[in-house]
Amino acid sequence: MLSFINVVALILVSHLRQWPLRTLLTIGGVALGVSASVAVRTANVDVLRSFEQAVLSVAGPTTLEVAGDESGLDEQLMIHLRTVPGVSSVSPVILQTAVQMRGDQPGQAIQVLGLDLLAEFETRGFRVSQPTTERQMIDMIHPRSVFVGEKLATDWNLSVGDEVHLLIGTGSCHCRVAGILHGESDRSASWERLAVMDIAAAQVTFGMVGLVDRIDLVTTPGLSVDEVADKVRTVLPPHVTVERPANRTKQVEQMIRAFRLNLTVLSWVGLLVGMFLIYNTMAFAVAQRRREIGIYRAVGMTQGRVALLFLVEAGLFGIVGGVVGSVAGMVLAQQLIALLSRTISDLYVPVSASGGESLWTGPWLTVGFEGILIGCGVSMIGAIGPSVDASRTATVRALAPGDYEASQQLQVGRLSIMGCALLGLAGLLSWPGSIQGVPVLGYMATLCLLAGLACLAPLCVTRGSGHHRSIGPTTGLPGVMRTIAVEHASRNPGRNGVTVSAFMVGLAIMIGVLVMVRSFRHTVEVWVADTVLADVVVAPSLWLRGTEIGTVGRSLPQAWTNILSSIPEVAAVDTYRDVRITVKGQRVAVVSRDLRLHAQWSQYLVRSGDSSEQLNRAAEIGGLLVSEVLANRLGVQEGSLLEIMTPGGVRQFPIVAVFYDYSTDGGKLLMDRSLYQSLWRDELVTVFPVYLRGGASLDHARARITEQLGVVTKGGLPPLIISNTELRKEILEIFDRTFLLTYVLEAIAVVIAMLGIVNTLITSVLERRREFATLRAIGGSPAQIQQLVLWEAIYLGAIGIVLGLLGGGLLSLVLIKVINKQSFGWTIQMIVPVASLLQAVALAVLATVVAGYLPARWAARQPVVDGLRDE
Amino acid sequence: MEPVVTIRGLSKTYSRGETTVTALHEVDLEIRKGEFCAFVGPSGCGKSTLLSLVAGLDQPTAGEIVIDGRSTKMLSSQAWTTMRRETIGIVFQAFHLVHGLTAEENIALPLMLRGEQGRDISARVDELLHRVGMSHRRHHRPGELSGGEQQRVAIARALVHQPRLLLADEPTGNVDSHQGAEIMALIQGLAQSGGQTVLLVTHSAQAALAADYTWSMCDGRLVSRTTPTTQTGLSS
Repeated sequence: MLSFINVVALILVSHLRQWPLRTLLTIGGVALGVSASVAVRTANVDVLRSFEQAVLSVAGPTTLEVAGDESGLDEQLMIHLRTVPGVSSVSPVILQTAVQMRGDQPGQAIQVLGLDLLAEFETRGFRVSQPTTERQMIDMIHPRSVFVGEKLATDWNLSVGDEVHLLIGTGSCHCRVAGILHGESDRSASWERLAVMDIAAAQVTFGMVGLVDRIDLVTTPGLSVDEVADKVRTVLPPHVTVERPANRTKQVEQMIRAFRLNLTVLSWVGLLVGMFLIYNTMAFAVAQRRREIGIYRAVGMTQGRVALLFLVEAGLFGIVGGVVGSVAGMVLAQQLIALLSRTISDLYVPVSASGGESLWTGPWLTVGFEGILIGCGVSMIGAIGPSVDASRTATVRALAPGDYEASQQLQVGRLSIMGCALLGLAGLLSWPGSIQGVPVLGYMATLCLLAGLACLAPLCVTRGSGHHRSIGPTTGLPGVMRTIAVEHASRNPGRNGVTVSAFMVGLAIMIGVLVMVRSFRHTVEVWVADTVLADVVVAPSLWLRGTEIGTVGRSLPQAWTNILSSIPEVAAVDTYRDVRITVKGQRVAVVSRDLRLHAQWSQYLVRSGDSSEQLNRAAEIGGLLVSEVLANRLGVQEGSLLEIMTPGGVRQFPIVAVFYDYSTDGGKLLMDRSLYQSLWRDELVTVFPVYLRGGASLDHARARITEQLGVVTKGGLPPLIISNTELRKEILEIFDRTFLLTYVLEAIAVVIAMLGIVNTLITSVLERRREFATLRAIGGSPAQIQQLVLWEAIYLGAIGIVLGLLGGGLLSLVLIKVINKQSFGWTIQMIVPVASLLQAVALAVLATVVAGYLPARWAARQPVVDGLRDE
Repeated sequence: MEPVVTIRGLSKTYSRGETTVTALHEVDLEIRKGEFCAFVGPSGCGKSTLLSLVAGLDQPTAGEIVIDGRSTKMLSSQAWTTMRRETIGIVFQAFHLVHGLTAEENIALPLMLRGEQGRDISARVDELLHRVGMSHRRHHRPGELSGGEQQRVAIARALVHQPRLLLADEPTGNVDSHQGAEIMALIQGLAQSGGQTVLLVTHSAQAALAADYTWSMCDGRLVSRTTPTTQTGLSS
């Protein structure tokens, strides 16, 4: 074995020396694919880990968390909880968002935690740097004292004794920094980005006297936490939940599962395209070394060893690509973390980005190892075909002059039949539903679709030449150059088919995702235009930032209804409340509003029937309107009854209508405000949609609203007063931000496909040195040789583009009708974005020309005499 | 007759690792218009190198080549390309036809490369196909032709643009003796009728008989000049 390793090393070194550029390109392609995969995986893990770390470090020794809905819990519940056997400690918690005022401008939002500091000062997992214990005690309970995390203090340039101006809900508070918080260990580092107040101070500051957001319990060691939880539930109202802290991470993980999965799958596209690149490189290596393989076999190397030789070579490419890709992936992940956190905060739940610094001190070794494993795996899978082909080399034929490409041509027909079969299979796999909410068959259909088209690529490469045979001596030079280029390309259907496939896969995914995103955007645009009709929306100032935690930062007082209604330009004011509850294990948004008023001024896009009629009917009979996503997930429809746990117990509601909604993939319930208030006893409002009188000036109305609300929020954080146009723009900006990451991953796949074209063309140039030299010898100029190679690039690119368009069109159908529907449940109206498609094609053409340019230039500069001697 | 090719002090050395190989050593030569000159000698004597330098496919280490009264010493790559398009036709031992093109397309290629198109090309290609006896094989690709037929097409391609200078590097090297004789007769006949000056590199004494005179080469130097009469006499 050792001697075999020596042989492999010897052969590898000689080949690397012989083909340094091709080796670099191949490793570069693998590295890019690995980097995209590593970056997305790392960013995904980091965002969730940040969330988990925040939850667990703040939870400290807590074993159970008692939580209600967003209106908070009555603190009196603690009295009952203390009586439950097995509960050794009961601690109230308030978790809200505040905004630091910097000069006259609102600055960064932070999370403020209200705790019973006297009881928990040394148990939660943080330390406070304080001069004296006596001072510590006084500061702890002072209503204006706040303890600031170390990193926050550094960012805000705060030290003990400084005053900090915090904007809370619609009010404000001047607090004194009573101490700096330090995490006791790496696991409790989240404290360093928090602010902490005593619970009593927090209740006053956040207007939650008598209420808490959560009650943390520590159970007696040695007892079963689940058994204690069951006992705890018996003393609580039915809508209150009792869960382990870690469950919150699981819930979030579950909530964003489909989003993460789709992102992850998209990040594998680069690897898939990279696999084609490896196949291509190894296939070329086998073709180039056919004679050499014959010699190895003649001197006693076994078939298995020949295959192993090529697999090891590919594996080494993968290892180097994996190392480079892992490092690049970590760098890319640092950029992605912020983007991903923002998107998850926009769409699901507030999560804070870690900044990615922890990547280099934490899991880099694991990430690197995973990257190497992925790179090596992908490379070796890509090299299986060529390696097997190498092992089957017939020694006699290899040593005699012969052309193995001819034998491959014979298989083009068989490959095409397989391609058609795979396309048919893709169609069949698109029919069944998801498996446990995951569109497994949809992904398989995608794979079959791309594989089917890839199998047809060699046929297209050979058939393409047939359309250029009408060229005769009367044709001009471009025609002849085209013919030579096409003829050469079509002589190598195996290798060129793989290149075309790689390009096709990159392009098909780009076009498929493009059509899906554009169709989705169009659907959202139509939805926004039809349903967001209020002229002005008055909302909490952090409403659009997606960072607010707790009720205070997300609510406005109902009393503002009268203030707004009194403004002469205002015709009607709706009260929109949006809270989260759990229905049959699903986290669902419950939206309550004045349905009759909404029926009069606006509408919902209902699946069937008339919006106004159904809104009025729901108000009348105490029914619900359910979003399409939720209806699919819960398996309910118009006329069904839905059970919901309310603070007053379980209640059944008739479903009056199902409506299209694209604001969340978690599902939404809509009920009349009076019904909601009678059940949840919640007087708060999330936003006020305001309708103006006909002919009223938007600017005037806005100025009036600002002026009137300025009086009641004097000194506090002013509300967000956003016009209809601005709101629509904001919604579409969130949409575009969500898909930004998609474009980055697509771009990586296309770059890898471009490397594939460069790789193939360099191969082609190497093989055709004699032909180019001949052309130079009979009067061809370097520019003409350059043209010839470019024509070949264009020919391969054109086939790739045609197949890519076809594949992209079919893929968009699978994405819209199968994968998206099964992952998120949204109905998307499919459109054909002609302008965007033309841009994509133009980009593909540009990519082809760019990829062809360097090999073309190189070909033109090759010495003529060497080329003529080349055998 | 004015000289078509004048060579003065032409040398060519190649570096291979640390060793330097001298392929040509201070060659002086003059070939006049319409002359048919053959170069013979053992492998590695420098005859093909000489042809490559005259064709501008390689650059000399020292010395000068004057073609048609024009020194090529300072010629750029583009100027050499123009020179080959206008003045030089080349026939190779391995034919070097473009695989994807038919016989007529291969012949038309030099004219197309210099930007010509239309009926003129067609007429000229027809004429050459006829003269090399390949009219019936005009639509065949190189892979479908025998070695001799491929070389006929290559000769037609070398002459299609009516060059003043025809360079033939072992044109009979890849064909049998019978076809070789036909090829040499074809080159001789076409060159004579077209008024071309021919430089032939060959191993074959038989092929060299077609030339007006023959230069023997050894170790990169011109050794002796003989005419067919003396050659015949010597051989007899």
